[in-house]
Amino acid sequence: MMTETSPKPTKSAVLSLNNIEVVYDHVSLAIKGVSLEVPDGGMVALLGANGAGKSTSLKAISGLLVAERGEVRRGDIQFLDHNLRSLSPQRRVELGIAHVLEGRRVFEHLTPDENLIAASAIRSRHDMIRNKDKVYTYFPRLYERRFSAAGYLSGGEQQMLAIGRALMTQPKLLMLDEPSLGLAPFLVAEIFQIISQINREEGLSVLLVEQNAIAALEIVSHGYLIESGRIVMHDTAQALKSNPDIQEFYLGGAQAKNFHDIKHYRRRKRWLT
Amino acid sequence: MDWALLAETGINGSLIGLMYSLVAMGIVLIYKSSSVPNLAQGSMTMLGAYIVLAYSSRFGAPIWLAIVLATLSMFGIGIAIERIALRRLAGRPIIMILMMTLGLEILLRAGSLTIWGATGRPMPIGISDDPLFLGALLINRAYAAGAAVAIVIFGLFALFFRTRMGVVLRAISDDYTAAWSVGISVERGVALSWAMASVVATVAGVLWASVQGVDQSLAHLLLKGVTVAVLGGMDSLGGALLAGLLLGIVEGIAGSYLDPLLGGASRDLVDAAMLIVTIMLRPHGLFGRHDIERI
Amino acid sequence: MFFRQAGVYHTNYVADRALFPVAADRWIIAMILALGVAAPFLFSSLYLSSYLLPWLVWTAGALGLNLILGWAGQFHLGYAAIMGIGAYATVHANRFGVPWEFSIVIGGVSAAVIGSCFAFAALRVKGLYLALSTLALQFVMDWTISHVPAISGGTQATLQAPDIRVLGQPIVSDAGLYYVALVWCVLVTLFMLNLRRTALGRALVAVREKDFAAAVIGVNSFYFKLVAFSTSSFIGGVSGAILIGTFYHAVTPEQFSVDVSIQVLAMVIVISWGAARFGFSLSIEALAHLPQALYGALIISFLLVEPLGLGKIYKNVRDYLLVWPFGYVKK
Repeated sequence: MMTETSPKPTKSAVLSLNNIEVVYDHVSLAIKGVSLEVPDGGMVALLGANGAGKSTSLKAISGLLVAERGEVRRGDIQFLDHNLRSLSPQRRVELGIAHVLEGRRVFEHLTPDENLIAASAIRSRHDMIRNKDKVYTYFPRLYERRFSAAGYLSGGEQQMLAIGRALMTQPKLLMLDEPSLGLAPFLVAEIFQIISQINREEGLSVLLVEQNAIAALEIVSHGYLIESGRIVMHDTAQALKSNPDIQEFYLGGAQAKNFHDIKHYRRRKRWLT
Repeated sequence: MDWALLAETGINGSLIGLMYSLVAMGIVLIYKSSSVPNLAQGSMTMLGAYIVLAYSSRFGAPIWLAIVLATLSMFGIGIAIERIALRRLAGRPIIMILMMTLGLEILLRAGSLTIWGATGRPMPIGISDDPLFLGALLINRAYAAGAAVAIVIFGLFALFFRTRMGVVLRAISDDYTAAWSVGISVERGVALSWAMASVVATVAGVLWASVQGVDQSLAHLLLKGVTVAVLGGMDSLGGALLAGLLLGIVEGIAGSYLDPLLGGASRDLVDAAMLIVTIMLRPHGLFGRHDIERI
Repeated sequence: MFFRQAGVYHTNYVADRALFPVAADRWIIAMILALGVAAPFLFSSLYLSSYLLPWLVWTAGALGLNLILGWAGQFHLGYAAIMGIGAYATVHANRFGVPWEFSIVIGGVSAAVIGSCFAFAALRVKGLYLALSTLALQFVMDWTISHVPAISGGTQATLQAPDIRVLGQPIVSDAGLYYVALVWCVLVTLFMLNLRRTALGRALVAVREKDFAAAVIGVNSFYFKLVAFSTSSFIGGVSGAILIGTFYHAVTPEQFSVDVSIQVLAMVIVISWGAARFGFSLSIEALAHLPQALYGALIISFLLVEPLGLGKIYKNVRDYLLVWPFGYVKK
């Protein structure tokens, strides 16, 4: 267990965050010194509880903080050879960063087909047609429903559409924010399986943000644990799964104690004060 | 009541109404893409007409060329307004956005008053004053031409929104952040919608000016435009077209009944009443978007 | 030095509730008030009656609007119509023989009654739609005023207002009229300043911030919207009446058209909505005399540069001076 992570920039990292700090509205500090790395072609999970700063980290990477009056105040975000901090969200998408937003956020009044067309605004028509074929092969269900309003798709289909939409931008790094949110377990399994298939076949790096740690740790190779805006642990998925603290906090607790004990235990075991 | 007269009033009213929906379409375009209720659309309409006149009388361009040039100029003005005045207000409270568009309205109106003066001038675009008979019904040619243009423009927009660019604009109006996340330049989309609204305003300005001349009262089309836009649902172009038709007919017929009773000028009263009733009973209008909820 | 405290540190509630937590505010207000009282002896009669007097009345009107806009957070694009109702009611009552002091109350009350209609719109809709429906109501009022001969005295008519008499004393001198306006403006300012310390003010703020959250803590948001609209309409009505009595001396529908509504709204924005800390923001009412174009530009630039208005600019300067030269000290 490492309490202070300072990843040395390895050659194979597609994305590395070095000690970034994010403030909203110039005052409230949402994340304070997050560092993490996504290896080229790898899958990494960022785990943590509500409000720990997972989504904010992703938005810092994709540049969508702008929409919420947030800004990266300190630290570096390196993507391939580019320093992202000064780039517009649009430019970052062009470079190959795709962000699948929390809560799916499909264009409800457009059909799935149009959703995919809208998402290829930065690519040529030729690429669009090719990418659409690819998305429909990964998600045949979308093809069946391609002409009905996206708002009427089921939750699972909408999540598939959101991922497909991200694929339309031809990303090198796919960032998924809580893809399992509000979905039935078998759908979660299906979607996670497709994600790892895309990772294998396209050579796409994946950064997965999840509260559902059990499912996430099944498919990723590494995991980071974030709490109150700081990375508190970083290890391989295997090690994280067997870590008793992780089991206690994120995998649903090992031994049943009474509530009073658990509270005490948590307070004692808090990594940060 | 004379049925022929009633039909005539109704038909002419519906033609006028379609011309109202030209103004409303500009409001809808902007509202759809950026949720900005543009209260300056009336004075943009007026500005469009003034610019056409400026090109044709000051520089001696033939009227069709003047219209083309004015359209291009207004395209640029629309982009400039968005860039300078409204982009910085994105995400601010609605009251500031409303005040900004009101401020624009005042600025454009007063500015054009300073430059061009208050006297009305004709806008000859070559529509003859001869009456047009449809059976026994007398139709105003200028209104008929205006209505036809309104329908054509609506058709063009309907086609445009099927193209790639149009789909992108619709995506922006659906979800800003999501549009950003897939690399759509939201700013450019919004600027484009302002530009298109300015172009529509020019067309509306020319047509209305050919009916009533070019003067400050063109800016009063704002009330009609807003009423039509709200009645149709602020984000529905088709709604704007139908609501225009409806408002025109109601206004025409109610006006012809009420004018003798109330001593004239009852049309504005009918408009205001329609606006209030719509807002109180059905704020999202006839065809406005209920947000889709999955069952 | 002008400001001497190194910050605002209250040690008891009384200090916190004080009208002017910073002593210098009090002094500035006192100076402005003294200047206001002495104005007839300092300025020429032309300047007094054609600049200062309308300034004061419009200030009172704008403060009244601020009760709805800034405190209750509701739109009102029909405030000029409200002022017009007050003006017409007062003039008619006065011509009927009611003493002027009572007829302005009649004007205020009738404005309040009709102004409450706007509150019913506010109950149903918010934001854009409220703005549009108040705008439509403004058109309806305009139309009614100008098309009902019993009110306007006929189409295109100008209704002469009788000279105002206070306690039987006719007031005709420029200085006298000026003092009438001054007294009204001071009264409204005092009311608005004290609002911050009252239950009404706090309830209005609660309604503004989130009306259903206010309802949850037991603030009846409809009731308080109604109170806000009627109170502010009362102030507007009386201001309209005083504007006619002291400045125009005759009333026509155009004096209260939709453009005027927008102007009053603009004044509120330029002063600073929400903070009525400085009732006498002297500079703003010059708006009424600016060329229209400049004034549109002023609205736009304020929205772009300092959306919180002059009040906020004053506050920034004050807060800077409070701790000067130790700028790193947070107030």
